[in-house]
Amino acid sequence: MKRYRYSLLAVIFILFIYYPAQAQKLEGRVIEHKLKNGIQVLMLERHEAPVVSFHVLFDVGASDESVGITGIAHMLEHLAFKGTKTIGTTNYEKEKPLLEKLDKIVIQLREERARGEKADPAKIQQLEKEFAETQAEANKYVVTDEFSKILQVNGGVGLNATTSQDSTRYFVSLPANKVELWALLESDRIANLVPREFYSEQDVVLEERRLRTDSSPIGKLFEQFQALAFNAHPYHNPTIGWESDMRNYTREKVEAFYKKYYVPANATIAIVGDINPQEVIELMEKYFGAIPPAPKPPKVVTVEPPQVGEKRIQVELDANPHILIGYHKPDINHPDEAVFDVITSILSEGRTSRFYKNLVEKRIATNVDSFTGFPGDKYPNLFSILATPLTPHTNKEVEEGIYAELEKLKTESVSAEELQKVINNVEASFISSLASNSGLASQLAFFQAITGDWRNLEKHIDRIKAVTPEDIKRVAKQYFIKTNRTVAEIVKREKPQG
Amino acid sequence: MQRVTKHFFILLNILLLFSIASPLQAQSYKDLKFKPLEFKPPPVDRVELANGMILFLAEDHELPIVNISAKIRTGGIYEPADKVGLAELTGIVMRTGGTQSRTPEEINEELEFMASTIETSIEDESGSAGLFTLKKNLDKSLEIFADILMHPAFDKDKVELAKAKALEAIRRRNDSPQGIAQREFQKLIYGKTHPLARTTEVETINNISRDDMVDFHKKYFHPNTILLGITGDFNKAEMIEKIEKVFAGWEKVNVDYPEVPPVDTQVKSTIALFDKDINQANIIIGHLGTKITNPDYPALRILDEILGGGGFTSRLYKKVRNDEGLAYGIYSNFEAGLRDYGTFEVVLQTKTESTREAVDAVIDQIKRLTQTEVSDEELQVAKDQYMNSFVFRFDTRSKIVQRKMLYEYYGLPADFLEKFRDKVLNVTKADVLRVAQQYLHPDNLVIMVVGDRSKIEKDLASLGPVTILSKS
Repeated sequence: MKRYRYSLLAVIFILFIYYPAQAQKLEGRVIEHKLKNGIQVLMLERHEAPVVSFHVLFDVGASDESVGITGIAHMLEHLAFKGTKTIGTTNYEKEKPLLEKLDKIVIQLREERARGEKADPAKIQQLEKEFAETQAEANKYVVTDEFSKILQVNGGVGLNATTSQDSTRYFVSLPANKVELWALLESDRIANLVPREFYSEQDVVLEERRLRTDSSPIGKLFEQFQALAFNAHPYHNPTIGWESDMRNYTREKVEAFYKKYYVPANATIAIVGDINPQEVIELMEKYFGAIPPAPKPPKVVTVEPPQVGEKRIQVELDANPHILIGYHKPDINHPDEAVFDVITSILSEGRTSRFYKNLVEKRIATNVDSFTGFPGDKYPNLFSILATPLTPHTNKEVEEGIYAELEKLKTESVSAEELQKVINNVEASFISSLASNSGLASQLAFFQAITGDWRNLEKHIDRIKAVTPEDIKRVAKQYFIKTNRTVAEIVKREKPQG
Repeated sequence: MQRVTKHFFILLNILLLFSIASPLQAQSYKDLKFKPLEFKPPPVDRVELANGMILFLAEDHELPIVNISAKIRTGGIYEPADKVGLAELTGIVMRTGGTQSRTPEEINEELEFMASTIETSIEDESGSAGLFTLKKNLDKSLEIFADILMHPAFDKDKVELAKAKALEAIRRRNDSPQGIAQREFQKLIYGKTHPLARTTEVETINNISRDDMVDFHKKYFHPNTILLGITGDFNKAEMIEKIEKVFAGWEKVNVDYPEVPPVDTQVKSTIALFDKDINQANIIIGHLGTKITNPDYPALRILDEILGGGGFTSRLYKKVRNDEGLAYGIYSNFEAGLRDYGTFEVVLQTKTESTREAVDAVIDQIKRLTQTEVSDEELQVAKDQYMNSFVFRFDTRSKIVQRKMLYEYYGLPADFLEKFRDKVLNVTKADVLRVAQQYLHPDNLVIMVVGDRSKIEKDLASLGPVTILSKS
């Protein structure tokens, strides 16, 4: 008797008095459900409005590629919007042989073109004609963008996907009455993807490369920076891919990549919003439960060897100077991660940060930012600093100013007040992050897949609180050394070549 | 009790029910049935204070935070032509330059230690000020927020810093091809001296003094020029008291706004090329758009969804991106200006070699809309997309409050959105064709291209005379 009464009281207490306080914690609110085939599902109820955000993360990214197929994880992400055996087509049985025929023509065409001067122009012309005809034939069965269209027509917003070095993520928000629609479409995509419209999409990703890298000074700077910083580890290669690899993708290679990595054991799904978790679990079992299990693919084994000397590159562009500095550091699960986060905050967060006060307010630079987790988080990566000098000051002066601040971290203890400020800001930004369904879904999926437990999202605050001034000195001394450093800078090329 | 649950929602709109249905095999999305979506957006209170300040309040007790955003009746359109940049710089230095009783450093330290954020800015047609704070730091943060709005000190050193950064931005503005294309397109549409298109120059920045900023602030910042949107964990009555207290003594002042020249609606046709050594052409094609009050805007909105505003479902996305692989990003925006005319633009990037092909493809799509009615399916898709995503306009209190403020600022009725939605629902194929013929001008387009002149110029020349824009 007494026990029951106690529970009842406790329930009332939680619902009516402590609800606002509970909303600030994730522990106890996130519901975990793992399907038998290995798909990890995380759910969080928020009933502020009848909307739901969905986030599907595959534990595969550009770092899982090898030379020859760089960028293929990203290409696959694009093709995942092209439909399945039933979506995006009026008749897959008739479409399939045409898609296979196209692949054969393209292989012959590429072989002939690769002969360079010895290539037979008549043969190329004939193959191009065959290609155009077959493609037109195949396109008759295509229902363009049916997958995306269904979601948008049903009120989907924020429909998109991203590929990084570490993961590939698909996301959308829908009105709360459309959960089953999402489950049906998304499970079909995991099980039955058909990479149709392959060759026009190849042109699209090449266009994306021109946009993000070739004609973007900062994009080019970052590409050169990571390629220089990593000798052995696949973080060396750009996520979008090297252009020559991108021109030589085949459907066979994409499908092999898809079959290996888009397996249930590699998928984490986070659903946040106005949901009934029991109903969602039933739908997940119904639609995703039937996907056959497969082994989780192995992680990258290559380890970046210790750097033996400073690396530098001057990237000459029709653009004004920027400087980008990186130091090798461990992966996100290493105990020093929290120390780097505190350092980042002290150096460049806000107008009281050291870079702002000593470089921006002194009018040496317009911006100086620092960040961890480039090019990825899963494997050892770079602590990086990006700065923009303010004329007449040069990259060199900014660089010297940055090093002076890094040296200070090695020798002078950070004050208790400075540390407390970092903690206050980390706590506040955590609380404000809880107000967004899509933001939360993204964070939960990321921490679950990349750190092994969504709880690390919250535990990270405790780790930051535990960082001491001694930790900061130790980390600065250990990592911020010349032999561990890569520097890339944009140098203005006044006259275009040629 | 503070938790809003589904039980309190009532039916918002039966039309949120999905409408396409046809028989097919089991397990098809077409077989799914959806419950109607029930939702009543949370209420917003509008309160006018004695000093003329207008508050929009919505309590939200999920998290212990408070967000305040001010919209101020001012803007870059009111700055003198020889001091372009004055409004923007005033907006920046209001926040960075301290107040009469607090140094810049004191403000930064105090706010950042509490993890509160205050930012101010002045755009073309309005000013903004925002405050984010944890509930426990509300009083202290609000006091600084009010101090910054009322008594900014425009510290000399921070004035110089802001000017130096503005000059650096001018130096760097031709680094980004997309930035060049947008800037030059606006100038071609509005004319390069019009307040909606003019840009800062070394000379105009050098003309700006600290006194100019002090005067600009003094002229436009008064309680009666401010709309304040407040959401978060507070009690309405207490919040009103707090606001009255922190702004106590600030008096109402009538402001004479300088006249802004109206947009010249004469249709202009130009082909312009900005030479840049890159392997991709950045293209904007379009002309003048419309005004939000135009009774044809609902039909134009549907037209735009079908052309290129509707993302994956639009014609431009299908034809230019998916069928031809000519672009990565492509969209259209038939913009309805809130004060004066917006612009109509189609934005895309394509490899240098396919510039002409892409331009032709876009013009062809614009032309088609003026020649033939859209299909029943296209019309239905555009409407469903608009209607079914309607709930996302209300899914946070801050979105609801922001919109109320926007309507108030531009003198639109409070139920503008609901009325607009009903009009969108009634748009017919004939309406779409009629507005296409009236408002699209495929023969009088502005075509702005940033790219490699040596390869592009001759391809564009057969469309008409090409103006070469030099690097400024």
